[in-house]
Order: sequence, then structure tokens, then C-alpha cells
Amino acid sequence: MHRAFVWLAALAALAAVTAFGWGIGLNASTVGFLYLIAVLLISLWGGLLAGTIASVVATLCYNFFFFRPLYTLTIAEPANWFALAAFLISSVTVSRLVVAARGQAATAEQRRKELGTLYGLSIDLFAATNRVGALGEAAGRALQLLGARGGGLVLFDESPYRQRVISWNGEKPEEIEDLIAGVGRHKEPLELPSPLGRDVYLPLVIGGKPTGTLVARGTEASMHALESAAWLLALSVERQRFVEESAHLQGLRESEALKTSLLRAISHDLTTPITAITIRMESLRRRAVGDDELREVAGAIADETERLRRRIDNLLSMARLEAGRAKPHPEPTPPADLFRAARENLSQVFIARPVTVHVDPDCPDANVDPSLALEILVNLVENAHRVSPPGVPIELVARRHPIDADKLRLEVLDRGPGLPSAADADVAQRGLGLEIARSLAAANGGSIGLAPRPGGGTVARIDLPAALLPVEERA
Amino acid sequence: MTVSSLILIVDDDAAIRDSLSKELRAAGYATVTASDGREGVAAFETRAPDLVLTDLAMPRSDGFELISAIRAGARTPIVVLSVRGADADKVRALDLGADDFVTKPFSVAELMARVRAQLRRTGASTPATLSFAELTIEIERRRVVQGGREVRLTPTEFALLELLATNAGKPMFIDQIIARIWRDTPSTTADTVRVHMSSLRKKIEPDPSDPRYIITEPWVGYRFIAEPL
Repeated sequence: MHRAFVWLAALAALAAVTAFGWGIGLNASTVGFLYLIAVLLISLWGGLLAGTIASVVATLCYNFFFFRPLYTLTIAEPANWFALAAFLISSVTVSRLVVAARGQAATAEQRRKELGTLYGLSIDLFAATNRVGALGEAAGRALQLLGARGGGLVLFDESPYRQRVISWNGEKPEEIEDLIAGVGRHKEPLELPSPLGRDVYLPLVIGGKPTGTLVARGTEASMHALESAAWLLALSVERQRFVEESAHLQGLRESEALKTSLLRAISHDLTTPITAITIRMESLRRRAVGDDELREVAGAIADETERLRRRIDNLLSMARLEAGRAKPHPEPTPPADLFRAARENLSQVFIARPVTVHVDPDCPDANVDPSLALEILVNLVENAHRVSPPGVPIELVARRHPIDADKLRLEVLDRGPGLPSAADADVAQRGLGLEIARSLAAANGGSIGLAPRPGGGTVARIDLPAALLPVEERA
Repeated sequence: MTVSSLILIVDDDAAIRDSLSKELRAAGYATVTASDGREGVAAFETRAPDLVLTDLAMPRSDGFELISAIRAGARTPIVVLSVRGADADKVRALDLGADDFVTKPFSVAELMARVRAQLRRTGASTPATLSFAELTIEIERRRVVQGGREVRLTPTEFALLELLATNAGKPMFIDQIIARIWRDTPSTTADTVRVHMSSLRKKIEPDPSDPRYIITEPWVGYRFIAEPL
């Protein structure tokens, strides 16, 4: 319809010039200029083909109506050949020039539009990425402005085959998923012909890693503009990822701080009444001089209070470790100091039975968190105390590890009933203390083992990393 | 004891305040109590106690504020009542100027020993000879006698022993030790201190398996024990 109208209009214009020139009897050269103007207008409006054909038709009309012999396509004077040829050449040239200028103007206009679209996209992306959905909206708007009739933004979760559609416009045939994945995998853009313009698939790549694909269907936008849009979107995806990660970290930090203050409050609130009970029990014992029965009862209550205190310590230590709080804080710790601290912690045990302590002269210091190592030791000594007959000594030994030079071994030796035959039964029999000791040892880079002791009883072994002092200073 | 020493007890828990107060009185001390940092500062200013026992975690105004306020103008010994697992708090309190700490729950005997050690330390100017159960340190003559037998120490070991023993009962940070003894070689590391300390302990401890004079203080450094428990 449109094309036919162009042809009709072109014919009408040439006919009008011919009729006008012929009717009022203009001379040939004036008519020539009128024809040129007509061809120029036709080219401008109808394009190169219309312009060229109009040039030829105008040349024929010019010859037919205005060069002698009139009303024939023959030419009498040789000079007129030159005039006609010059007319044809100028006419075609004008037509081409006009069309080229118009094309350049159109391209410039398209570029300007694309640049504006990209600028708008970058503003959209960097002003509002924190808002949920902002990315998808910006992608959709950019595609629309780039003249795409469909398509959208698809991001990858870990792999190009796990796709998450952020925004999509128009139909989405199933096979498109493979194209999207393929473009992501190869990290190369893909252009396919389509009934309207072309379909372009652009990978979103940041740091060499494909994060998604931008699909523009039926677009005539330049590759340059589409690639820029994909690049802006990729940057924005990365930025959003950073924002999310940092929010996540912030949340973690806050919950860590909360856990710390909670644990500290619990620790304070549980230990305070136990401290008060301990002090009052001592006062009671002091006053019960001469009343053996009362002293014994007071002593038993004090022992149980001690046990309760140690359980609370154990549970709080576990909670701290589990909360990721008390990151073990290792420092060189002499085993003799651990034994000494164990004695202070378990005064009842050390009063109730003899405890012998031996540290090999060449035993290295342990590189452990002293509080955690002490807790392990206290738990194992307490276990040994529980299973040993009254009055029988417990032995504490520290020595270099027999095989591993980077370790040392603490041993708690008792003369209890020994280990049950089934290796797994020990946990049930020996209780929570051993389990906690195991976890604490693991957190310290150590381990715990139980073995039968020659002559009866059990050896509990705590293997701990050794602190290696600089050799040149050892002398 | 002609005039009994006055001890200020600061704890938000009434049961602790009362029981501690009772035990300290039974041991011959006079006591005054306060329930938080602010009250503690007020009591410190009006009563001028000889020693302060303070909890750290208290509502309104905590133990750290109290320690800072006291240390702004006085050298009165401060013993902190800390809880297990709060090592960072313990170190912070010592940094602010506290002299010692006991970890809740503590036994009365342990607390009394710490209190006595602090009062003794402030009582006397450094004497020419420091005597402990079986250990005698003659500062001027740089002579150390352990169990009737003279112990030969290197100059560094003697300096370490002198520093710890004159501060008996007070936990000493490794940094403090380096600053005092290795003044001229500030690049000295904690490992250097540990090596010298380890050989010193081997020389003066009657039984290195069961140290009775010098113990490592987790998170802090070392402490010289004035009297065995």
C-alpha cells in the first residue's frame, strides 16, 4: 500500500513537472532544473530505488517532450546527448547523496536514542539496585527502548542450566532455554535472524564467570548498544550480589554479638548464685567445728555444688564453641600449669584421694587454649575419680607424644573397673563429661582416647599440639 | 593487726555482697558494700578503703567504669571478681589498672590469699630481701636460695624473678615484662620471654611438675604466687 502510493506519487510529480513545463512552453534548461528538484524530493521520500527509477523516467520524459524532434525518443542535435547524459548523471547522483544523508541522519538518531537508553539504564540500575525487582524492571525498560519486541533477563544459579528468569516479555519457547545456557557457557553473543529484526543473546560475564544472559528478540538495535546494556546489567548483578553478601555478613555479626552478650549474661547469672552458695557453705563448715555430722552434710552439699558448677561450665563452653564464639585462643601452656589448675578446680578430688603428677623433663608446652584444655583435663580427672575405689591414687602424666614429634600427650590413669568390652559402651558409662571433653579436644586440634591400663583400670589420653619454641634460644 | 584493713565490696548481687562481707569480717577485715560502679565510686571517695573487690558486669555502671574512676587518682589495690569464659573482660580490667582477679565461683580460701597478697604488696616498700616459704631472693647481692641451696641464675633470669617476686600475687602481662626487662630490645617476642621463663622455672621450682612459685596466667602472662594455697 505504502510502496504503491510512493510510486504513484513519484509518477504524479514527474507528470506534473512535464505538464507544467510543456503547457507554458518553458525552455529545456529550466525544465531540467524542475525535473532535478522532483527527483530530489522523490529520493528523499521514497529512497534510493525510487530515486534512481525517477531519474531514468525523468530523462526519458525530458527527451520525449522537450528535445527536438519532439514526441520521439530520438535526438537530432549531438549537443543534446551531452545535456541528457549530464542530466541523468546529476539526477542519479543527487538521488544517492540525498538518500545517504538521510541514512546517516537516521543512524545518528538511532545512536543517540541508544545512548540515551543506556544512560537511562545505568541511572536506573545504580540508583535502585537495593529494591527487590529493580534489576528486572530496568532490564525490561532497556530492552523496550532498544526496540526489542520480546525477551528479557535470565540469571544463572551456580550453573547456566539452573536459570532464574528475572524479567521476561512476550512468548518464551522452551528451546530458548538451551540457547540461553549455550550463550552463557560459551560466553559469546549470538545473533539469529527472525521475522522482525533479529534475536540477540548476550552473555552477562563478570570476572570471566557467566552470571546470566540478556535476550533481545526482534531488535534492530546496534550490537554495540546491546553489549553495553548486557555489561551494565552484569555489573549491576555483581553489585547486588555484593550488597546481599554484605547484608548477610552484617546480620551474622549482629547475631554473633547477641550470642556473646547472651552467653555472658547466662554465665554471670548462673555462676553468681553458685558462688554465693559456695561461700555460705564454707561459712557453715567453719561454724560446724565439733559437729562431724553437720560438717559431713555441708561437705557433701559443697561437693554437689562443685559438680553442678562444672556441668554449667561444660555446657557454657560447648555453647560458646557452637555459637562460634569462643574461638579457641591457643597459647603455649606448660602441662604442669594445667595440672596445677586442675588441682585448684577439683580441690575435693585432690583432698579425697592422692593424686600424683609427673611431667617429663623433655615434654614440650602445649599450644592450646588454656581454659579449654583445663576443662578437658578436669572432666577426665573427674571421671577417673568417679570410677576409682576410695583412697586409690590417680596419676597425671605429661610426656612427648611417642610417635608425633609435634604433639604431646597428657594421661589420666585410674584403677577403676576398666573399659567395658564393647568399645562403644564407654560413652554411656562415662557420661556427658567425656563427650564434652572430646568436643573440646577436637576444637583445640587435639584428640582423646581411652585404653585399658596394664594391671587394671583405664588410661585416658589427651593428645594436644605442642608449642614449638624457637630452637636457637632453647639453650 | 592493730587497725583492720577496710575492704570495699562492689557486686550487684546481694547474696554475694552479704556472704563475702560476712566471711571477710570473720577473717578480721572491716567491710563496706556497694551495688554498682557509681555507688562504688561514692563509697571509695567517702570511706577510702584499703582494697576494692569488684564484680565486672553490673547494671547502670559496671566494674570497668569503677576501675577507671579509681585509677584516675589512686593506687588502691583492686581485685576483680570475673566469670569463666570472660577472658577478654579479665584482660581489659587488668589493662585498666586492676591488680588481680578471681574467677567465680571461687573458694573463700583462694580469695583470702589474693586479698592478703595485695594488701602485703602495697603495705611495704621493696625490702632488700624477699622471702617466700623456701625461696629467698637477696636483691642487692643478686643471690637466690631455694631450699637451703644457692641457685645460679643468668642476669635475665634474675631480672625476671625480681620483677615477678616484687609484684607477687599480681598477674603480669608479657608485654609489661618485655617493656621492663628488654627495654633496649623492643623487638623481643613473647617466645623469648617464654624460653627464659621456662629455664628460670626449672631452676627455682622444687618440683617442675607441680610449680609453686611461678604459674602462667592464661591470656595474660605470668604470676608469682606469694603463698601456696
